[in-house]
Amino acid sequence: MQPLASLLVWSGISVLGAAAFGVLALSRGETVNAAWLLTAAVCTYAVGYRFYSKFLASRVFGLDDRRATPAERFNNGRDFVPTNKWVLFGHHFAAIAGAGPLVGPVLAAQFGFLPGTLWLVIGVVLGGAVQDFVILFCSLRRDGKSLGQMAKEEVNPAAGATAMLAVLFIMIILLAVLALIVVNALKASPWGLFTIACTIPIALLMGWWMKRWRPGSVGEASAVGAVLLLGALVAGGWVAGQPHLAPLFTHSATALTWMMMGYGFIASVLPVWMLLCPRDYLSTFLKIATILVLAIAILVILPPLRMPALTPFASLGEGPVFAGKLFPFAFITIACGAISGFHSLVASGTTPKMIARESDARLIGYGGMLMESFVGVMAMIAACTLEPGVYFAMNTTPAALAQASQVLGQAGFVVTPEFMRELAARMGETTLLARSGGAPSLAVGIAQIFAGATSVLGGKTLDALWYHFAIMFEALFILTTIDTGTRVGRFMLQEIVGHVWPRFAETSWYPSVIASSALVVAGWGYFLYQGVVDPLGGINSLWPLFGISNQLLAAVALCVGTTILIKMGRGRFAWVTAAPLAWLVTVTMTAGWQKVFSADPRLGFLAHAASLAGSANPDTARLIFNDRLNTFVALLFMTIVTVLIVTSLREWWLVLSRRKTAVVHEAPYVETGYATGD
Amino acid sequence: MRRGTDDGTGRQSAAEGGRAWRHVLRRMFGMPDYEAYLEHCRAAGHPPTLDEREYVAEFFESKGKGVRCC
Repeated sequence: MQPLASLLVWSGISVLGAAAFGVLALSRGETVNAAWLLTAAVCTYAVGYRFYSKFLASRVFGLDDRRATPAERFNNGRDFVPTNKWVLFGHHFAAIAGAGPLVGPVLAAQFGFLPGTLWLVIGVVLGGAVQDFVILFCSLRRDGKSLGQMAKEEVNPAAGATAMLAVLFIMIILLAVLALIVVNALKASPWGLFTIACTIPIALLMGWWMKRWRPGSVGEASAVGAVLLLGALVAGGWVAGQPHLAPLFTHSATALTWMMMGYGFIASVLPVWMLLCPRDYLSTFLKIATILVLAIAILVILPPLRMPALTPFASLGEGPVFAGKLFPFAFITIACGAISGFHSLVASGTTPKMIARESDARLIGYGGMLMESFVGVMAMIAACTLEPGVYFAMNTTPAALAQASQVLGQAGFVVTPEFMRELAARMGETTLLARSGGAPSLAVGIAQIFAGATSVLGGKTLDALWYHFAIMFEALFILTTIDTGTRVGRFMLQEIVGHVWPRFAETSWYPSVIASSALVVAGWGYFLYQGVVDPLGGINSLWPLFGISNQLLAAVALCVGTTILIKMGRGRFAWVTAAPLAWLVTVTMTAGWQKVFSADPRLGFLAHAASLAGSANPDTARLIFNDRLNTFVALLFMTIVTVLIVTSLREWWLVLSRRKTAVVHEAPYVETGYATGD
Repeated sequence: MRRGTDDGTGRQSAAEGGRAWRHVLRRMFGMPDYEAYLEHCRAAGHPPTLDEREYVAEFFESKGKGVRCC
């Protein structure tokens, strides 16, 4: 493009984005259309990608297409395979986008649509996409090494051990909170549970098809699986209407908790092709298709946002969904979509082993994360299209709803019991009250958008079917994360114990497989169970812990990135990773401190334990123990962050003050065999 | 676009196009692609070390060690 034309186009995009932000920020009291939110987000992504990622690629990292990548040097046709950048973009996106960018924004909608959207859009451009890009770049230059290996080699062994511990802890909390979301969505829902239960025999059939009957025929098996899945979805509606069948699939949250734990254990122990792989393919296809359709539906309908830009809970800190003020809790509630430490595991996992040219890392690392943020913005839109009264009634326990009733009434966020009954009936459920966790309210939002789209296209508004489709879509890939997470946690535990008992590290030795799987399931199962029986709904304590642990992992990744930049002699650009790191540390530490020491019993674990002392409730001792355990976990996370920051700062000071020679552990330069266009 | 001729080049190029798309989709969705593995072995000038069943089994096993984000 000619320089003048380019200048005009990019100026136009910038002005359009600024105008959209202006409309969002200045509208008070009137309904805002989702189009403004989409415009603000897309324009910001475009400008961020065009200018900031280019600056990172050329000036900061110095990506060099003449340098052979690990995929070229170790090409074995299996793990290391040079891959087209658009194909790898899709592959990487499918690996990083899960339930997080859908659920976090829904929960953060408690503060209104503006804070979460700003964090999603600004956070990703300056933080999340930078983290993914820098780790992908570092791993690319180190033969595809993992985050833990890079932390050990480039920072010090303590940082490596910290990274490994952080991953294990985040895994336990993550699996508990994700399982809690599924349990809350499926409790007393025969339609939902029947559909999800059917995914197990469907996955087993697919596994047998693509492993035993027709090896490698994943496409065929997935097509059959998808048809059966849609059949199960329709059949679920029929089952829920049968008086003798519905009770078989109607269970309490506690019963579902035990089922979930049993499922996680079996999935971790079974051969990977039997359940994990087929479910993974099924959920990947469904995820990409649903996200595409949701984006198109939102663009077709451009629904109005019912939630205001800011709710009173942003400043009061007494939100019924979760306690705490906008700062710091909006920034740990939304992790995936803005910045997520978990991505650093994918960016230092399979992706760097498949990159054909160094410059492709820009599209895949930075661009892939922008796409995930866009998914988060769509989730925010879906949640904010709900009437605020409905949103709060669905995401809040009766106890928390009663506590917040005065503020909700003053803000006009009220809904009648008749309306909620009618809405539940329309969605094919007996009740939608107290369905905390974000998934059911997102499903209602998605169902309304899809129903609106099918109405526009002349079809029927199939609310109940769309609602259960959305629940199935969310539950399916959450269960996939539980399968893979339990298995990865099991591998990590085997490796850790293997240092003192080498036999335990053998991943094919069944006593070790069973023991380590049971320990990992017991770990997340414990937190899940406590979340289910928590009078405040579980999300109130578990989601912040998950946010803190995820951001802790992001801090590990940014520390590694900053260290490597400094060692590469690019210390003058270290702010690109150090600035988001400073923000994350501030947010994580403040949130951790408040969760432990706040005097508000709804917010602070210790204050909550103190408020229970002397209570006649028979569960008091258990609740106090849980508060103390949560305190320990939060303090542990904060200690890990502190250790990591101190060790990294020491390393930076030693290198910058020339007291230590900067040794980077990059793979030696090898010229590429591909044409570079020079 | 070039049109096919009576000697079958049209059918051949359509088949090649179909094969290319199959490779793209398999790679994007993380599916095993034994054809691509065989092509790699041919290009590298060595015989394949795995038959199709072994290749698929190994592929699924390594997929089980991969991380999926939240």
